[in-house]
Amino acid sequence: MTTRSTRSPRRRTVVALAVVLAVLAGFIVRLVDIQVVNADDHIADSMEVALGASRTLYGTRGEIVDESGQTLAGSILLYDGVLDPKNVGPLTREDDDGERVVVPWKDVAAEIGVITGQTADEVQKIVADALAEDPDSQFAYLRRGLTTEQYRALVDIGAPFLTFDQHPARTYPDGAVAGNLVGFMGTDGDPLAGIEKSQNDCLLAANGTLTFQKGKDGVVIPGTEQQQPAVDGGTLQLTINRDLQWYLQQLIGEQVQDMAAQSGSVMVVEVETGKIRAAAEYPTVDPNNVDASEDADRGSRLFRDWFEPGSTFKALTAATVIDAGGQSPTSTVTVSGDETFANGARVTDSFSHPAYLYTLAGVLIDSSNAGISRFSETVGAETRVDYLTRFGIGQGSAIGFEGEQVGLLYPASEWDNQTLYNTAYGQGLTTTVPELVGAYDAIANDGVRMPLSIVESCTKADGTVVTPTLPEPTRVISESTSAQVRQMLENVFLQANYNTEVEIPGYRIAGKTGTGEKSDGNGGYKRGVYYTTLIGFAPAEDPKYLVVVTLDEPTTVTSSAANAPAFQKAMTQVLKTYRVMPATTAPTLLPKFG
Amino acid sequence: MSAVAQTAAISAPARSWTPRLRAVEEPSRRRRPKLIYGVVALVGALTIGAAQMALSILTTQSSYELSTLTQEARQLTWQKQILYDDVAGLSSPQYLAANASALGMVIAESPSYLRLSDGALLGAGQAALGATSVDAIGRAAVPNALITDTPLVTAPKATIEGAPVETAVADGGVANTPPPIADGLPTPSTH
Repeated sequence: MTTRSTRSPRRRTVVALAVVLAVLAGFIVRLVDIQVVNADDHIADSMEVALGASRTLYGTRGEIVDESGQTLAGSILLYDGVLDPKNVGPLTREDDDGERVVVPWKDVAAEIGVITGQTADEVQKIVADALAEDPDSQFAYLRRGLTTEQYRALVDIGAPFLTFDQHPARTYPDGAVAGNLVGFMGTDGDPLAGIEKSQNDCLLAANGTLTFQKGKDGVVIPGTEQQQPAVDGGTLQLTINRDLQWYLQQLIGEQVQDMAAQSGSVMVVEVETGKIRAAAEYPTVDPNNVDASEDADRGSRLFRDWFEPGSTFKALTAATVIDAGGQSPTSTVTVSGDETFANGARVTDSFSHPAYLYTLAGVLIDSSNAGISRFSETVGAETRVDYLTRFGIGQGSAIGFEGEQVGLLYPASEWDNQTLYNTAYGQGLTTTVPELVGAYDAIANDGVRMPLSIVESCTKADGTVVTPTLPEPTRVISESTSAQVRQMLENVFLQANYNTEVEIPGYRIAGKTGTGEKSDGNGGYKRGVYYTTLIGFAPAEDPKYLVVVTLDEPTTVTSSAANAPAFQKAMTQVLKTYRVMPATTAPTLLPKFG
Repeated sequence: MSAVAQTAAISAPARSWTPRLRAVEEPSRRRRPKLIYGVVALVGALTIGAAQMALSILTTQSSYELSTLTQEARQLTWQKQILYDDVAGLSSPQYLAANASALGMVIAESPSYLRLSDGALLGAGQAALGATSVDAIGRAAVPNALITDTPLVTAPKATIEGAPVETAVADGGVANTPPPIADGLPTPSTH
């Protein structure tokens, strides 16, 4: 029974109900939207804005250690102090009696300065400068690279406008020991030089994150932590012995000063493995304080420089003519101190002498340029280039050091008449210390040249050990040639005019000097200054270690005699370090003249 | 035909068998549920609730404790870092060598070895004559910024790069070095 009177309220009810339902439906839709459809986003928002927090877990960059595991480069934490210039002002503190005292900004600045090593004025200037630039500035570095001790002391000041960023940094406990090899890092954590840079893949750590929810008072809500762990970098072991490295750096430092040279270096290589046990240089860099070194001293000259080797190459020529030219240590040639060859080339010795009947051994002992030039005629130029190449000249080394230089050896077809003879005694081509050491390694190691290495292994954080892949050893000369050249080189150290300076009592040693002329950059040679080298190995009867000492432009003594004292001490230290036993046999003397 | 009628029809022939009728027993009066169950249930529920609350309190409590301990661990880490920074560089060869030099020790020249099997002396068999092959303290050539200002242990007034410490060497420099052995070391006779 619907009357007009009843219909109206009912319709109203229906309409009202419909409206209520519509609103309710709207709310439900919104509720589902919030709680179900977009729930994840909102949870994420709440995490970000209110509850959640995350922290970077810093992985530790791997250590660089020496052959015995001593740390050459380690990781520490440093802190950057950041000021909020806009909010800098006086501090309110409670004194001992519990009374509140206001400390003016000037005094706070002085307190800060005492800790950071700045004056109060300097600290105030940082703030004033930042404000002058931007009156609303809220960021200015107080000082970067604060130590933990400084950081804690600064926190104790209790200044709310002073905050800190923590960041991992490098420390080099041994300072400049092996600084030339290890290299260094920039303040922003990028490797800038040396092994830090070239072996970054091994050393690099991966940062992780820790996310969690915090309660009202900052306490972590239990069970909300989610951790993506950081992965530490690998430990890089070098073949270097740090104690030996220190000794040699100290030694070459003194020698460079004594001889008033530009620079100097010592390299020690284990004959049977090609492992570099020390590579010392002066001047060099202390990775803890890179700014103290000149730009040019921050790298490694040993690997970066090339030079004309001079007489050290006579041993390579001698090996070639024995191996391929049918010569022996007692084969003879007749040469005078100033010899003109059939093709018009002229070769002079460092001392004038009449025509001598030199043996090959005698040529090496007196380091006769004319003599070795005459001997070099027994093999063709192509053969000599072939041998030099197999000795590794112009090939670089297996180390692939940051910025490593490669020697320059022209093909035989480009040799002119003079170069044909100059190359026999190490002029007219260039080499590097690693190449020279590699070549002598072939002579010392029964004719097989071992690839040089400086990295022993990389131990990853999970314990896997990665050893670098090295090229195969190269057979350069026969075993018998190697033995004959070794015997001649021993006689060089026994009979040359500097023999008493290189002598090590109790041991048999062998080697050769080189006084290389230096290019003046205009197609000629510098007058009166040389790049001097002394390379040798011990024990001569069973070579274990190769030592090379170089000096760039020594002036007190200009010839390679300048290197002799340093070589003798270096080799002595090597023999002591590795407990090499003194000789029990006597050397065989070879005749100088036929 | 209704289901009731059908049932009646089917059961009609069996009517000859008189069903044994008996009076339904009076259902025993439903006893009041024992109070104990209720109490047990209630207490159980309350216990569970209380345990849960206690656990929750404990967890919260331990999370505060954790927070304190984390703070403590952080303090200790800082302390460790400070100590590490303090001793950094003291193990370096420069420092050791400078300390040894300050004591008057020298780096000797070529070594000699005593062969135990026959007591033979290998090597030159000479004593170090006071001269050191490198001057670790007077001419320090290997800097270490970490310990530039750290005094030596053996000579507190010097640093690795600082003023060399005067060490008196007696005439000839053989003061604290044993004399060279001329005719072999006496070997212990063992059986």
